Amino acid sequence: MTQTADSAATPVHPPAGSVPRSVMVKLPRAEDPRNPVHRLTALLDDGSLELLTPDDESGMLAAIGTVDGTPVVAFCSDATVMGGAMGEDGCQVVMTAYQRALTDGAPIIGLWHSGGARLAEGVASLHAVGRIFAIMTQASGRIPQISVVLGPAAGGAAYGPALTDVVVLGPEGRIFVTGPDVVRSVTGEDVDMLRLGGPEPHGRRSGVVHLLADTEEAALQHARDTATLLGSQGSLLTDQVEDVDLADLLPENRKRAYDVHPLVEGILDEGTALELHPRWAPNVVTALGRLGGRTVGVVANNPLRLGGCLDSLSAEKASRFVRLCDAFGVPLVVVVDVPGYLPGVGQEWDGVVRRGAKLLHAFAECVVPRVTLVTRKTYGGAYIAMNSRSLGATKVMAWPGAEVAVMGAVAAIRVLHRRRLAEVPPDLRDQVEAELAAEHERIAGGVEKAVEIGVVDEIVEPSRTRTALAAAIDAEIQTAGVRRGAHGNIPL
Amino acid sequence: MARKQVVEVVAEMVASVVEIGCAVGDDVTPESTVLLLESMKMEIPVHPEHAGRVREIKVSPGDVIQEGDVLVVLDPA
Repeated sequence: MTQTADSAATPVHPPAGSVPRSVMVKLPRAEDPRNPVHRLTALLDDGSLELLTPDDESGMLAAIGTVDGTPVVAFCSDATVMGGAMGEDGCQVVMTAYQRALTDGAPIIGLWHSGGARLAEGVASLHAVGRIFAIMTQASGRIPQISVVLGPAAGGAAYGPALTDVVVLGPEGRIFVTGPDVVRSVTGEDVDMLRLGGPEPHGRRSGVVHLLADTEEAALQHARDTATLLGSQGSLLTDQVEDVDLADLLPENRKRAYDVHPLVEGILDEGTALELHPRWAPNVVTALGRLGGRTVGVVANNPLRLGGCLDSLSAEKASRFVRLCDAFGVPLVVVVDVPGYLPGVGQEWDGVVRRGAKLLHAFAECVVPRVTLVTRKTYGGAYIAMNSRSLGATKVMAWPGAEVAVMGAVAAIRVLHRRRLAEVPPDLRDQVEAELAAEHERIAGGVEKAVEIGVVDEIVEPSRTRTALAAAIDAEIQTAGVRRGAHGNIPL
Repeated sequence: MARKQVVEVVAEMVASVVEIGCAVGDDVTPESTVLLLESMKMEIPVHPEHAGRVREIKVSPGDVIQEGDVLVVLDPA
C-alpha cells in the first residue's frame, strides 16, 4: 500500500507515507493524525461533533454527532496513548457510548486502532474488555453497530468489531487474535501483519470484513453510508419507482453465466447499492441499497461465480445478511438464478448441510417483507433455500420462461427414465431425451406449473419488475407494517 | 504490499474447458473472457481479476479441471 490511513483524515498533516514512523510517533498529540478527535471529526458531519467523554489518557474517546443528518454515537481508539490499548477507563468510555446509543436508539460507529487489552492492568483490563463484548451482544439487533478498523486491532480489539453488524477495514487496518511475533514464537511461522490480518485475508478468505477501503477517508465514508442506510431507512415511494427493462442485463443464451451485479444495481435506485462482503463467497451477492427511496437488502445468486451455486460459505454469508436485515426491519429482495447446491466432498466436509441449514432458518424466521424474483431457474434444495413460498416469502415472482423444478428437465428424465433410455439406440438417444424432457416440463416443471400450485404468485415481465417489487413490498408494509425480527445478529 | 510477479487465473470449481478466448501475448482486462468453462450445465466465462498480458495458457479445450488448478498465467499490466 502506498497510501496510508492517516493522510486522508487530516489533509493539513504531511502525507503519512512520506514521514518515517519514528518521526510520526514523536508528533505532538494535537497534530497526530491518529488523535481520536481528528478521526471522529472526519467521521461526523461538519460541526456536529459533541464529546461524550473527556479527551484524556483513557485510550478511548466517545462522541455524538450526525452522519448525513442521521444522529449517531461514535467512539474511537486513542492510538496516541499506548497504541490504543484498552484498560478499565477506556472500556468505560465504550460502555458510556453504548448506553447512550441504546437510550437514543441510534446507530453506533466504533473506530478501532488498538493492540487490545492493557497488559499493565492485568486481568482487570480483560474483564473490562469482556464487558464491552457483553454490551455489544445486548445491543445486537437493537441498534446498528458499525466498526471501522483503521490500524492494528488485536485480541480484544479484534473481537469487538467482529461482534458488530458491519466491519469496514481501512488500508492500514489489520485484524488478528495474535500478532506476528506470537505466531512466530509459537508456531515458527513467519508472517507479517498484512498477510495475517490485512485486506486480502479478511476481504477474501475469512469473511471477517464486510467492506474494504483504499483510504481512511473512504473507510469512514463506508461507515457513514451504512449508518445512513440502516439508521434512516426512509419511506417507499412507489410512484417514484421507474421501470427499466432488466432483461437487457441477462445474456440471450440461457445456458450462459453472467455477472449479476448490473441486475442488482438495476433493481435498486441508481447509485445506492452498497455491497457487503463483495469478495468473500462471491457466488451470492448481498447488498444494501434503496428502492423508491427506502432501504432494502438484496440477496442474489451470481451465476458468474461457481455458476451461481449455493455452497457452504455463500449460505452462511446470505444467512447473516438476511438476519441483519430482519433485525433492523429492512425489507428483502431475493434475486434467484440458482442451479442448486454445489456438489462435492469438499462441500460436505465443510458442513454445507449445517451451514445451508442456517439459510433455511434465517429465511423461515424472517418477518420483514421479503419478495423473491426468479429470473431464469431455481432447482432443488437451493430452490427452497432462496426464500421460497414454503419458507414464507411475502411474494414470489418469476420472469416468463423461468424454470422452477427439482432439477433441469434433461437431468430429471435421465433419472426417471433410466431403464427406458438404456434400451434406446444411441443415435436416437438425443431425440428421445428431448421428447421426454419436453413432456416432463409440461407435467412437473415450468413456471406455469409453479403458478398453478401456488409456489409462484405471478409472472412479471422484466420491464415491469421494479414497480412490481416495490408494489409487493409496499403492500406488505401497508397491511402488516415493517416488523423487526425479535433476535440479535450473531456473527454467523 | 509485496508485489506479485505473475497473476494466476485459478479454477473456482470442477469444470470442463469449452473454449480458449485468449492467446499468449494478448493484453487482457477484467472484462476479457479468457476461457469459457462448462459446469453445472452452464457455460461460465472466466475473467481475470487484474489486467495483464497472457504469459501461459495451461489448459486446452476438453480438459477437465479441478478447483484450484491454474488455468492462465498473466504478467501484470
